[in-house]
Amino acid sequence: MTHRAGASRTLRVDALTRVEGEGAMYVEIVDGRVADVQLRIYEPPRFFEGFLRGRAHTEPPDITARICGICPVAYQMSACLAIEDACGVQVTGPLAELRRLIFCGEWIESHTLHLAFLHAPDFLGVASAVELAERDRPALERALRLKKAGNDLIELVGGRAIHPVNPKVGGFHRAPSREELLAFADRLRHARDDAVATAAWVAGFDFPDFEVDHELVALSQDDGRYPILGGRLVSDRGLDLAAADFEGAVAEEQVPHSTALHARLLERGNYLVGPLARYSLHHDRLSPLAREVAAAAGLGPVCRNPFRSIIVRAVEVVYACDEALALIDAYEEPDRPALDVPPRAGTGFGWTEAPRGMLWHRYDLDADGTIRHARIVPPTSQNQPTIEHDLFHLTEHHLADDDDTLRHLAEQAIRNYDPCISCATHFLDLQVVRRTSEPCGGS
Amino acid sequence: MRRDDGVGPAVAEAVRDRLPAGVRVVTLDGEPTRIVETWAGADLAVVVDAVRTGAPPGTLHRWDGASLGALAPPTHPGSSHGLGLREALALGRALDRLPDRLVVLAVEGADFGPGDRPSGAVVAAIPAAAAAVAAEFADAPS
Repeated sequence: MTHRAGASRTLRVDALTRVEGEGAMYVEIVDGRVADVQLRIYEPPRFFEGFLRGRAHTEPPDITARICGICPVAYQMSACLAIEDACGVQVTGPLAELRRLIFCGEWIESHTLHLAFLHAPDFLGVASAVELAERDRPALERALRLKKAGNDLIELVGGRAIHPVNPKVGGFHRAPSREELLAFADRLRHARDDAVATAAWVAGFDFPDFEVDHELVALSQDDGRYPILGGRLVSDRGLDLAAADFEGAVAEEQVPHSTALHARLLERGNYLVGPLARYSLHHDRLSPLAREVAAAAGLGPVCRNPFRSIIVRAVEVVYACDEALALIDAYEEPDRPALDVPPRAGTGFGWTEAPRGMLWHRYDLDADGTIRHARIVPPTSQNQPTIEHDLFHLTEHHLADDDDTLRHLAEQAIRNYDPCISCATHFLDLQVVRRTSEPCGGS
Repeated sequence: MRRDDGVGPAVAEAVRDRLPAGVRVVTLDGEPTRIVETWAGADLAVVVDAVRTGAPPGTLHRWDGASLGALAPPTHPGSSHGLGLREALALGRALDRLPDRLVVLAVEGADFGPGDRPSGAVVAAIPAAAAAVAAEFADAPS
């Protein structure tokens, strides 16, 4: 809907589709220059940190899995790592490898959902995945198969695909047998073929020429593998943090236009987490096939164009299939499905690479394991100031475009980050206001 | 976690042991590709969910798939994933994954705020909704 009143122009879009959750986007243009860009989040943050207070130290994997239907494993694993840290237990060996395996399933299903069903329509000039299915059915059939392979891998290790029930503090309720995992390998090999074809598909899209200079931030695992679980937080500008030091290095600000917190690195400013950061910091840790696919798709070792994040996600899906196959091949059944994690008074920190970026948890426990305090910093709240920054500069470069073009570009720019606002809050509505500061004759 | 929105899983649990052999009970989060995959190849699919139409809380609605298909696509995708049941219908049609027959049984909800169980009127409607699901399958040709 467009409303004109004198020299000011207001453009309102009733729904910002294909972004998870509900919220609003506000862009103000004064005298032909961008004056303000705000991501307005108006649903109160979900009260999971409050739900967790007073619960037993064994409960956060089940409770936090409910925060997101798309990335429950990341919530479960960050919670487990933090609680085990508080209790002085380190899960290693086959149990840690099973955690990495179920995480691969989550990357496959979450990335494929986003890139094929939510993001690809932007590049192909169609309104939705339904229209895309009518136009390019083989591509969506392939994506559906690929996504289902990810879901089924989560179900195989996690007991069910949505809010898995098998992971627990210390490991799993039941460890799968080697035969069960080997029986899935064929599915994964087909999924890997589908992932390679999907990467070639998205590489053929047209991408706006737009590069960003954000500090790229991702975990770095001590074992030299591509980052998924634990390690240190590093950046392309020398950041190097342990999980315990994260909250001392990051300020979460309350901003008037949003009930979601905005995270900034102290004395460094906004930063970027997620596939672009992981890829650019750890390109050399991808599997040979994933690197080959990236090169064939036209990616160098560093990618700073957020629109090309769709290719990076596709490359990470190839990697996740490859990595899952390697993990299954090397899997040895653990002696026990879980380590004992007796409670003790203390504070623990844990982090993982959710599909959308680093996800940090902190728990303060009483001696009997009762949770006194919980804190969760999801990737979307870390990327929010960065999304606003991108929108500011994109809008500046496209001021000559009409409102529809500008709106489409802004929506696409937001979807570049796959913002799971249901983690940080919810999302809908895009508003562009154009006005001049000069007096005008009309009313 | 969203009170009345939990009526679908509650009805699924209530009816799980009362269905003929060969009927699968699946709890989903509303993400359309999962719905579409679950429908694929089914003779009959019964979707149970909460709705808000303005009717008194606990009211049981029934629609069949043909009438749902006639509805215009929503301008406000309402679910937390930006897509909903109608998108799943359209996607299922485009990808040939609709069940032969689709029935939607929905319980009118009122309270979708944070909380771990549905409100009173919705809880009271669960047995009738479960019976309605069982009746759909009892009436279905075997």
